[in-house]
Formats: sequence, structure tokens, C-alpha cells
Amino acid sequence: MTVFASVNGTALAVFGVIVAVTLVISWFASKRVNTATDFWAAGRGLTGPQNGFAIAGDYMSAASFLGIAGLIYLFGFDGFLYSVGFLVAFLTVLFLLAERMRNAGKFTIADVLSYRLKQEPARAAAALGTLTVVAFYLIAQMVGAGVLIEGLVDIDFSLAVILTGVFMVSYIVLGGMLATSWVQIIKAFLLITAAVVMTIWVLAKVSWNPIDLFTDARAKSADGEAYLKPGLFLSSPLDTVSLGLGLVLGTAGLPHILMRFFTVPNAKAARSSVMWAMVLIGAFYIMTTALGFGARAILGQGGEEAAGATGNGAVPLLADELGGEFFQAIIAGVAFATILAVVAGLVISASGAVAHDVWSNIVRRGQDSESEEVWVAKIAALAIGAIAIAIAILGGQDLNVSFMVGLAFAVAASANFPALLLALTWRRFNTTGAITGVLFGVISSVALVIISPTVWPGPNSEGGLFSWYDLANPGIISIPLGFIGCWLGTVLSKERVEERTFDELYVRSETGLGAEAGTGLTLTGRGADGARTQDDALVGSGR
Amino acid sequence: MATSETSRAAPGADHHPEIDWAAAERSPEFRELISKKRSFVIPATVFFLAWYFGFIILAGYAPDFMGREFLTDGLTVGYALALSQFVMTWVLGAWYLRKADREFDPLAERAAQVALRRGNGERSAS
Repeated sequence: MTVFASVNGTALAVFGVIVAVTLVISWFASKRVNTATDFWAAGRGLTGPQNGFAIAGDYMSAASFLGIAGLIYLFGFDGFLYSVGFLVAFLTVLFLLAERMRNAGKFTIADVLSYRLKQEPARAAAALGTLTVVAFYLIAQMVGAGVLIEGLVDIDFSLAVILTGVFMVSYIVLGGMLATSWVQIIKAFLLITAAVVMTIWVLAKVSWNPIDLFTDARAKSADGEAYLKPGLFLSSPLDTVSLGLGLVLGTAGLPHILMRFFTVPNAKAARSSVMWAMVLIGAFYIMTTALGFGARAILGQGGEEAAGATGNGAVPLLADELGGEFFQAIIAGVAFATILAVVAGLVISASGAVAHDVWSNIVRRGQDSESEEVWVAKIAALAIGAIAIAIAILGGQDLNVSFMVGLAFAVAASANFPALLLALTWRRFNTTGAITGVLFGVISSVALVIISPTVWPGPNSEGGLFSWYDLANPGIISIPLGFIGCWLGTVLSKERVEERTFDELYVRSETGLGAEAGTGLTLTGRGADGARTQDDALVGSGR
Repeated sequence: MATSETSRAAPGADHHPEIDWAAAERSPEFRELISKKRSFVIPATVFFLAWYFGFIILAGYAPDFMGREFLTDGLTVGYALALSQFVMTWVLGAWYLRKADREFDPLAERAAQVALRRGNGERSAS
């Protein structure tokens, strides 16, 4: 990308500062993280606001910062549909899962499933769902990071991917969830600040009248009136609905987001963290109006080629136009921090599926020590990082990043969300149902994307395996299939459900009675909460 | 709590058999919590899904309506409806938090205490 050619020095310095600060935090965290609860759940010591910032930092990827603004720049209104879906999705999380996950869970989403279902198969199914989502999401982010850094500091794409991978794994190996959380908190702060500064700057350019953003953008778009209407990017109505469904239910199945609810002391903190996240994320997504429509109003038609086919270059171009090379370097650094925080969250959730679910509970059947589990987790994080680096380099920068993020949301909504929701609320639900549900969800969403016109028969194709199937977003078919899989498996199997364990999970998830206690860990030391008795823990971990 | 060097018991050892969970699930205190919670969460979920999918379906099937301008030149029905989704999310979220703090938490606490007392009572009796 020529967009950034001349900002090397400053950008390198900004990147250096971000990497240095995050590594110092991880080093601090490494001295304090001892137990498995410290490593996976930051000792459950985060406050509601802290976890709210961390959720925002975990959630808003480069696809949000560069991608949505880029889509709005190129296609107008349709880009903003993503902003709406990504935010409203948190109501699903708040009403249906956040507090229940905190009360019922331990370290991974598999803990919730296997609490009432058969250990090994339920864990294996949940681990499959987690790893599939993370695989697509992580590789998309790694490729995005590689393209961004390559463009910024003129280093080779492969080296850029390797550096991103090395940093993300360092946070986890050094400081586990405690380090990851603080990297995410700092990133959320940086991202929101950058968006506020750019929004104010853009508004100043249109004499403080937000409506002028729309009229100026329309005037400078070749599409004219159509630019402010839906339909330029999402031309098939059914596809739009399918996308909307995937967005609003997908977030509630993202393992790295759900895992964040295990880092707070109780259900009250879990729900307040969602509220904080909704305020931060909503404020950010409203500002994508100023970034996207503002980029069109200010850059006009001229930036289209430099912004690229996906529009990812629009925000850096806008930053250059507003504040010159120095400001552009800062914005690029924020984008880099954004990616680092998201990939770290993804890797720790995948490492949880490998170390906690597969190794500790399936292979070793719970007979390993906590320190062994933490060691295996670190090795798993290294291995996952290495695999992600390899695939991102082999797939290369031509990999279609936005379709892979879309696929991650589709799998999360079709495989993880139905099984989790039914495990927590449907008395009859059983292990067979969980397995068939996850398999239906994973297989249908992946298969439907493969045969879709955007993928079949080759990269960026316009074909599709069947002429009658033209959906790019599989959600409207795969999500019902996930639920049907859960139901069919349950009613067709002869497996007897254990009423007692459902009662326990149900009462525990709604009241917090018996919920996992914290260790009182914070970044600066261990609080008085550390010496919690078993009786306190029974009454609901700090209630 | 297990220290870092002790191996853990069988998988799924986080269960608490000392509490009679079936009785806790049937207790009037727990039933009251569930019915109060449902009477908020179910209508709220139906409402937000309806409002959201109404918006998405209009965006898909009625682009001309969404592109219509009102009040002032440049402000479309679509953008105004999109902003209403943000407001809805914040209002429903804040409303739920208020209900949870004032109504659901005390009920949950009471249901937990009842179950805990009953569990401990049986244990000392046996």
C-alpha cells in the first residue's frame, strides 16, 4: 500500500511504545499469576468497569476500526448496518448469557456444558466449536495485522505476521488472562480516544453540523442518492437479514467474549461489565458515522483506489488528511494495538479449549495438577500462535479477511450459542443433543460458506456451486440448523438426563449459589479477598 | 480451594452434593425469582429482536423507504432508525441493570440462603 509509504520512522516509534508498555504489563502480571484461576480468569478480580473496557478491547477488532469505516466510505449506509448489529448483539449477551456464564462457569464455555452433560463428549463438542470460531477469526486478524504493518513500516508481510504472533503469545505465556485483560483495557482506551479525536476533527471540518456529513458525502459520491440508502454493498435482501441474524446472535457464541465473564467476582459485576461495554462499543460505533461518511465528505472520490477494495485504507487516509503523517502514524499504532488485544483474547480462549478441556479434563481426566494445566496452556498458546502464523503466511494477504470474520460469527451463532443456551435453560437437553447441535452448526455454516458465490469456485469468485443458492451469509439457514440439531439429538437418543445436575446448574446459574470464587488477584497485588472460605464461596463468591 | 500442587478430584468435582438442589429448584423463593426475571427478560428480548429485525428487514426489502429524507435534507429514515437501535440498546440495558439490582438480586440472595440453610440443616441432622 502506498498510503503509508513515508511514515516509517514515527510509526515505528508509536508501535515500539505500544509493544513496550504491553510487555511491561505482562511482566508485572507474570509475577502475580500463580493458580489456574489466576491464569485463565485473572483471579476473577476484575471490576465491572475494568471488564467492560476489556470486553470492548476484546471485541472491537481492526474489522471494526478500519473495516466498517471503510465499508461506509465505499458503500455508504450499508456499512453502518454492521455497526448496529455488532452493538445490539450485546443485549443477547446481557439478557441470556452474561450472568449465567459467570455463575455456572469456571474457565471455558465447555465447563458450562459439561457441568450437567457427560464430561468427555460435551467438552469435546464445545472445544470443537471454540477452536473453529477462533481459527477463522484469528487468521483473519493475523492477515489484517500483516497487511497493516507491511504497509506502515515497509517490512515484509511474513515478518509482520510473525512479529504480531510473537507479541500476542508473549502476553499469554507471561501473564495469562491478567496480562491479556490489561492489554485489552489499554487498547479500548486508545481506540475510543482516537475515534473521539477524529470525530471532533471531522465535525470541525463540516462546521459542526453532523447533517452536513451526509449531504457532503452524498455530493462527493458517484452513487449520489443511493449512497445514503441501503443496497450498495448488501444487494440481496435475504442476505441482509441473514447477516443481521448472524451478527445479533454470533456475539453470544464467541468464546473469547464469553470467557471474559469468568474474570469478574460475581454476576453483578458481570452484568455491569456488559453495560460498560455497551456504552463504550456503542459510542465507538456511532463515531464510525463520522469516520466513514466523514472520509467520503473529506476525501471524496479521490481516495477510493488508495483505500483498497475493502476500504481498509480509508481511516489512515483520513488521518493523514486531517493531521498529516504524525497523526496518521498514531492512528496506525492504535490499529496495531487493536489487533494485538483481539488476537491475544482469541489465543487464550483457544488455549483454554486445548489445555483445560482437551488435556486436563479429557486426556488426564482431571488427575493433573493446576501447575501442569498452566504449563500445558502456555505450550498450547505457543503452538496455536505458530499454527496461526503459518496459515496466515501461507494463505497470504489475498485471503478475504471480512468473509472469514463473517464465518466466525456464523459458526459462533450456529454451533456455540444454541448448545450453551439450551444447556442452561432446557431441562431435557442431553449430551447427544449438544454434540449433534454443535456438529450441525459447524458443518452447515462452513459448508454453506464454501458453496456460496463469494467462495466457490475460487478466491473472490462470482460463481457459487448451485445457481439457486446465492447467500454470502449462512446464518439464516445454519442457526436454525444448530437449534434443530440440538433438538433432534436430544429427542432421538435414549440417553437419560440427570434431573439433579440440571437442578444444580439451573439454581447455580440463576442465584450464584456454589459459583466459583476468586483469588483476589489484581495487577498490583493480592487483595484481602484472597483468603475466602469455602462457605463464602458457596454463598455465591463474594455476594 | 485446591492449591497449585494438589491434583484435583474427578472431573466435574465442582458440584455441591451437600445442597438439595431439586428442593432448591422447587422452593417458592426460587420460583419467584424465575417468574419475576422471565416477566422482564422475555418481553424485553422479544421487543429488541422485533425492533432490530424490523430495521434489518426494512433495510433489505425497502431501501427506498429507508433512503427517504425527513425533517432536514440529508437525514434519512434509515439512519434515524439505526440511531434508535443504539438508544434502545442503552435504555434496555440500563433498565435491566436497575431491575436486577433492586429486584432480582435480593430474590436470588434469598433463594440461595434458603437452599443453603436447608442443605446445612440436613447435613447436621444426619
